[in-house]
Amino acid sequence: MAAAGPARRLTRWTSAYGGRREILAGYGLIAIPLLLFLVLNIGSIVFALVISVFEWQFRGGAQEAIGLENYQRLLSDQTFQKAIYNVATYALWVVPLQMALGLLLAVIVNAKIRGQTFFRAAFYFPAIASSAAITVLFIFIMQPQGLFNGIRASLPIDPLAALGFAPGHNWLGTATTALGSIMALNIWTTSGTMMLFYLASLQTISREVYEAARIDGANTWQTFWRITFPLLRPAHFFVATVSVIGALQLFDQAYIGGGSNGDPNFSLMSIVLYLYNAAFRQFNLDYAAAVGIVLFLIIFVATLIQRQLFGRTPSWQ
Amino acid sequence: MTTARAAPLRPDTAVDVAAVGDRGRRFRRGIGYTFLIGYALLMFVPFTWTVITSFKTQPDSVRMTFIPDPATLQGWERAFTELNPSLPQLFLNSAIIAGVVTVTNVLLGSMAGYAFARLRFPGREPLFLLVLGTLMIPDQLRMVPIYQLIRFLGLSAGDLQYGGVILVLAISATSVFLLRQYFQTIPRDLEEAAKIDGAGFFTTFWRVMLPLATPALGAVAILQFQGAWNGFFWPLVIMSERDNWPLPLGLTQFRFEFFTQWPPLMAVVTLATLPILLLYLFFQRYFVEGIAASGVKG
Repeated sequence: MAAAGPARRLTRWTSAYGGRREILAGYGLIAIPLLLFLVLNIGSIVFALVISVFEWQFRGGAQEAIGLENYQRLLSDQTFQKAIYNVATYALWVVPLQMALGLLLAVIVNAKIRGQTFFRAAFYFPAIASSAAITVLFIFIMQPQGLFNGIRASLPIDPLAALGFAPGHNWLGTATTALGSIMALNIWTTSGTMMLFYLASLQTISREVYEAARIDGANTWQTFWRITFPLLRPAHFFVATVSVIGALQLFDQAYIGGGSNGDPNFSLMSIVLYLYNAAFRQFNLDYAAAVGIVLFLIIFVATLIQRQLFGRTPSWQ
Repeated sequence: MTTARAAPLRPDTAVDVAAVGDRGRRFRRGIGYTFLIGYALLMFVPFTWTVITSFKTQPDSVRMTFIPDPATLQGWERAFTELNPSLPQLFLNSAIIAGVVTVTNVLLGSMAGYAFARLRFPGREPLFLLVLGTLMIPDQLRMVPIYQLIRFLGLSAGDLQYGGVILVLAISATSVFLLRQYFQTIPRDLEEAAKIDGAGFFTTFWRVMLPLATPALGAVAILQFQGAWNGFFWPLVIMSERDNWPLPLGLTQFRFEFFTQWPPLMAVVTLATLPILLLYLFFQRYFVEGIAASGVKG
């Protein structure tokens, strides 16, 4: 960075850009990546918008313009409402729990403890497996005769039994507990990732701040709530955004756990599962495109709300 | 003298949750470690259970015993013989997709990353923001348009489906972002020296900058390999040919077909996770740094 200063000053009174060859080299290097980004991402949004207002066939493409018909139908569809409800419930539980757990783990792992490296590696461990592998594993553990119920049976007191769950309760096979189980699965697998995000941010807080607090006689609790927590604001924003976007896009675990209908009784039906069914079960491409646009809008609005909440632009800007 | 006086002001100031305030310190440490060890167990036990179950017989698989009785390779045998496509085929498919996607991300990511970090050309900042902005677009919004595009390009049938999946995953904004950040931290002197030696921009990039960026290239490679190896959504959308399936798709199908045949299912889960596990054991630092750097730091 030290060298950047003079170099930048120099360019200001010659030209903001490099010479002809440098400019050409720049465009040359970004050409292929940029083309892919433009076609596969930016182009996709435009294309999705177009598809959603036409009657669009798998082979024939555009048939006739139907305006906002798909969007109207979508908003009044009961299964879609169920999907929105499920995903909202899911996000309301998973996001705060994931953030709290990620922060707690990060603070502990950032402290002077024995085996710091080991614990850090251990907590991220479940995140390395594929969603397919981990979901199948989870189904095995949560089945009526699975490890989870087995551990419950071996405990002296089983708090879940007190809540009315039978010893052989079918967690994923019962409509009332299926979504909760998938929530537990994802909190388990991704809290390690959230921990790493928080950890990176924790390590940027200067030690002097803590030293000053110590001299002022602040205790651990005060130090955390008055110093660490507010200083992590950009991290809160980032983690919350990643977590909310992940929650709204719930798909793999719901599909593998409950099939394409989100069984039992639509309890695992998510927005993306609904979208997938529209495209590849009902072959209704234009309707699926409309679902995609609505999902994008929901994500966009959620991100804006969080930006207001945490009062900061994303950390990369 | 000076060191002695400075010492109390500069003790080891690592953020020590337990050490701030001495009362109840040991008690708090005790609770802390109990939580840590308990939580770590929660991370490992399910995987251990998976491996154990793969060596059990079907009736034994629902018993709460840690030692298979009798220990058998039946589950593994079934996993290798009864699957369609076969386990080696699934493995190969995953390796092809993940391998190519890793190479394209490292290559294209470092090209764009270097240009965005160092070369001064008109439109650089807006174009970089545009690339970053693509992180906001959910894959599902892109599903229908990309599916149509891939049909249009003729990549929706036969072996060309590999091409379809690879095209979609060829470059991610995260790769560009990570490499740009890293290139920005490399001192400019080295480039200046190369320039004085008469090297052009491409030579400088290829011979000087790329070798210096090895840690970042490693982090990107690991991140993308893991993502592509574990990827579920795009293969599900694009690969209608069963023979092209990568492991996660095969695994999902067996879950529906094998239903509750736990030992063979757990054998597939173990095998599907093994390559990433090995990578994680050897390159843990890259995983952690890649994830962390993609999050914070501006």
